Amino acid sequence: MQSRSIIHLNVADFAVAVERQADCRLRNCPVIIAPEAAARAEVYDMSEEAYQDGVRKGMPLKTALRFCSGAKVLPPHPDRYEQAMMQCFKRVLPYSPLAEMTDQKGHIFVDVTGTSRLFGPPPDIAWRIRSAFRSEMGLDPIWSVASNKLVAKVATRLVKPSGEYIVREGEEACFLQPLPLYLVPGILPEDRKQFGEFNLSFVGQVAGLTMEQLDLIFGRRGHTLFNLVRGIDLSPVQSFCLKKKGICFDHVFGTDTGQVSVVEGVLYRLTEKIGSLLRRQRLSAKNLGLILDFSDGKRVVRQAAARPPVHDDFSLFLVAKLALERAWTRRVRIRHMSLSCNRFESRSSQLELFAESRAEKEKKEQLMGAIDRVRQRFGSGSLRMGRTFSLDSA
Amino acid sequence: MEKTPKQKDPPASCRIHVGTSGYAYAEWTDAGFYPAGTKSGQMLPLYAKQFSITELNYTWYRMPTPETIERQRQQAGSGFLFTAKLIRTLTHEIDPMKWQKEALCYREGMAPLLQSKQLSAVLIQLPPSFARTQSNRTHLSVLLDSLDGLPLAVEFRHRSWAVDRVFDELERRQVCLVSVDEPDLPGLFPALDVVTCPDLFYVRFHGRNDQGWRSGNMQKQFDYCYSDDQLGEWIEKRIIPMSSRARKGVIFFNNHVRAQAAENALQLRRLLSKEGLEIG
Repeated sequence: MQSRSIIHLNVADFAVAVERQADCRLRNCPVIIAPEAAARAEVYDMSEEAYQDGVRKGMPLKTALRFCSGAKVLPPHPDRYEQAMMQCFKRVLPYSPLAEMTDQKGHIFVDVTGTSRLFGPPPDIAWRIRSAFRSEMGLDPIWSVASNKLVAKVATRLVKPSGEYIVREGEEACFLQPLPLYLVPGILPEDRKQFGEFNLSFVGQVAGLTMEQLDLIFGRRGHTLFNLVRGIDLSPVQSFCLKKKGICFDHVFGTDTGQVSVVEGVLYRLTEKIGSLLRRQRLSAKNLGLILDFSDGKRVVRQAAARPPVHDDFSLFLVAKLALERAWTRRVRIRHMSLSCNRFESRSSQLELFAESRAEKEKKEQLMGAIDRVRQRFGSGSLRMGRTFSLDSA
Repeated sequence: MEKTPKQKDPPASCRIHVGTSGYAYAEWTDAGFYPAGTKSGQMLPLYAKQFSITELNYTWYRMPTPETIERQRQQAGSGFLFTAKLIRTLTHEIDPMKWQKEALCYREGMAPLLQSKQLSAVLIQLPPSFARTQSNRTHLSVLLDSLDGLPLAVEFRHRSWAVDRVFDELERRQVCLVSVDEPDLPGLFPALDVVTCPDLFYVRFHGRNDQGWRSGNMQKQFDYCYSDDQLGEWIEKRIIPMSSRARKGVIFFNNHVRAQAAENALQLRRLLSKEGLEIG
């Protein structure tokens, strides 16, 4: 197997870094990102200064402000962070199509295996990407180069908030050995608790255990932990093609809301927009993805599959509603909602086998066709479904 | 510009070490320099079978740590020599608030090589934009002071530094001036045979790819292969004169694309042996 070269880029305190780019007055003061208006607001992100004062992610805002009273508090802007991530991503893609954004928090993996004949050694590529981030976006990412994603991520964690790290192939185990277990992604708090009972808190100590010993304590998970502490990670960098992003529409609620009728009304409107686009391109959706951003800054992403693929608003809404049921499990108000479709197929011209279902399908097609034609001619607001009226009073 | 060195105590003999700038290039396996399937962590012992010295260039990208340096030292063996590029935060991306602390960290990182006497030089490669201005002269002076005690070599890439006053100051400080071979393009530092430190002369062959030099792509910039004639001319005009004025010489090839650096380094060793020079 060819040895791999994985670059991990990590913009520390990503949300704060993006906000500081938008407003340079924030550069020299501690910043906390949290929804001030929410009753039980939690810290979404904070600057290094606030971190040094004891502020942590997920901490109640009131407590955070006791630790760092001089901090400037800003509401989260998920759309702004997403846009910044895409800008970062565009600067990475010229070096490799195998680039992966794991979240919207400034982490990007790039697999540059086999590109050195084109672009030079991996550390040089990492440095160039970092220079591009700095000069073109004002962001200063931490970077690391390693033979897999696991080790590359630990390396950037190690040098946070700024710096770089190169772990040579074959040195993964040595590199991990002196580190505390909490730095290794994949070792969960419950695992650490269990290791703690055996007085084991460093990677090197756990690496001294055999697979059988780990199996005895953790059962089937023992194998995973055995690999993690040795820096073995075969997971690929998932390629991400911008074109595959698909169709996406979103809505920011003027006032954070927990009203079912309002949320479903908005969901229906988003579904209509996606449906209209799908029908225009003669496509059917195979899935719908829903992102909910809550007023405390938490984000939940869920999806639902459409089987068989659908393109009319009524069927699409049923799929979207299923995704909403999966995502909306918290008793916290919603600030932002985004509905997307990234798996399509061409509309089937296959006729229904039975006359009854064929008639129903044709009726639906004709109705949708009529709605689309009216809206095309007189505007999208000319014909509305009853469930969206609740938005006018909201 | 050309300087006649003030030689008080001419060295009796000069041992010359030839190597490459960096050794861990994946493409060198494809080029056949390393056996197929060689992993980057296994390259140094294989490299050390062919050469007696290498120039560590990863130390430009990241701060060296004593652990990593010690591991490399052990991998290469006790007779092997190293030079190491100075980290970019002291030469290219200088933060006035942090750089002195970085200099201390760098010195600490290099300690294993210094203690085992396997560190031939720390290469201070200055950026092409680093012209001889008052502020740059001050920075260089303070930088050399802060690295005092390490064997230092300075590579200028801006022509404005090619003056006798600079060579005199380097000589006073016993800091080695790096001689370079690169394309004949305006503004670049010229190829010289000046020796400013009797302990060491230092040569870097970057290749003469004038088309790719300013392309911003290393693979184009350093894609070049020297001929016997070109190397022979260098030996005659510069290496032999410099070896008569220094106790040790280190020569590196930076044209790493498709392992041409390794090929040229072996070629130069052969030519130097023919001339009767002492090869390390």
